[in-house]
Amino acid sequence: MNVPEGDLRRSRVVADAAAPLEAALDRRLTGYLVLRPADPLVPDDGGGVITVEEGVPVVAYHDGTDTGGPAALASLSGHGPYRAELYAVDAADLADVHEVEALRVPPGAPAEQVADDTELARRARERSPANRSSSDGDDAVEAFLADEERIADIKRRARAEAERRAAEWGFDDAVEPEER
Amino acid sequence: MVEAFAVASGKGGTGKTTTTLALGMALADDHDVTVVDADTGMANLLFHAGLADADPTLHDALVDETADVRAATYDRFGMRIVPCGTSLAAFEAADPGRLRDVVADLAADTDVLLLDSPATLGSKAAVLPVVLADRVVVVLQPTVPALSDGLKVQEYALSYGTKVAGTLFNKVHERGTDAVETADRYFEGPTLAEVPDSDAARAARAAGEPLLAHAPDSNAAAAYRRAAARIDVRGGDGDAVADRFRSAVIPDPP
Repeated sequence: MNVPEGDLRRSRVVADAAAPLEAALDRRLTGYLVLRPADPLVPDDGGGVITVEEGVPVVAYHDGTDTGGPAALASLSGHGPYRAELYAVDAADLADVHEVEALRVPPGAPAEQVADDTELARRARERSPANRSSSDGDDAVEAFLADEERIADIKRRARAEAERRAAEWGFDDAVEPEER
Repeated sequence: MVEAFAVASGKGGTGKTTTTLALGMALADDHDVTVVDADTGMANLLFHAGLADADPTLHDALVDETADVRAATYDRFGMRIVPCGTSLAAFEAADPGRLRDVVADLAADTDVLLLDSPATLGSKAAVLPVVLADRVVVVLQPTVPALSDGLKVQEYALSYGTKVAGTLFNKVHERGTDAVETADRYFEGPTLAEVPDSDAARAARAAGEPLLAHAPDSNAAAAYRRAAARIDVRGGDGDAVADRFRSAVIPDPP
């Protein structure tokens, strides 16, 4: 996805994606957010760009999975903390990329599917122009559920974490041998 | 004869407490049910059950070794409810290590023990209800963060020898039902119910009543009743469960 280079307005490490999305909404930013996983223990699997018009999300792209639209949100979800950068761009310079249907996301979907913030999602939907689809982010859920490898990875990591913590917390007796 | 269930979700806002009380009320038609607010750091259940002024609460039993948890047990809506209080001082004085003893005492005379579990896997005390329960009910909603955290809860439970009774989807809107079907293959146990997104749950919470008491004829209430009917309570040996709770590890204070 090609977005024109913008003016950096803010850059910080955040625990989740709610703060930068809210900052964009509150400032009625026109431009884009760049979110890149900032956990040094997690391999860098790429980051995402979400464009905003008057603070409301329009399109999304993830460079690690080369996916756009709701699938890009699914790739971005659950990888916080993030290095979050906000850039301002002239609305006219975003017009082309905003025409690409495959990259479009519902206005509330980034808040709901990436930031897990239903109230922020509601505000984004309320602020969005009448011609924007306000349907929820089911497509992001479908993209997430279609990614069997990622789900297997989440399960694997959770198992490893549970077993590591069992030793830390003295739950060793409770741990069952791996059956699968 | 008792079976202990942890009602868990890994993240907040999925309707876990609404679910716990709804399953409790539905199961109470056929069983003796005790519901415990095992989320001792974030008292919530009392507001859903009209017990906002309850005194004493579970915290008292967690502070004082000699306190009898039965004093903090309230008969409401056909169940026994053990709420937590909202006092921060009481929470800080409470010893979560006492939870296993308290729950062991409760297990001695009930059929079904429902533990409304903390919405996190971040600490030993938060994970304890999942470790202690026989089975877990994983509460989900059709969003990526909820599914992702629900998968983690399931893997924690399985790692600690706790079985999965099934998954329950809250806040499902019309288009979300496909996602529920697809999600089913990644979770152990059946999909117990898809509860439609409705205002009934919010209204019930505002009224301080469990959903099944506030809006018994709502679609959401019907879905919870179907979910409860799909849970085949296995009624283990009450003494064995009590022993297991007593011998479980003692978590550090928060």
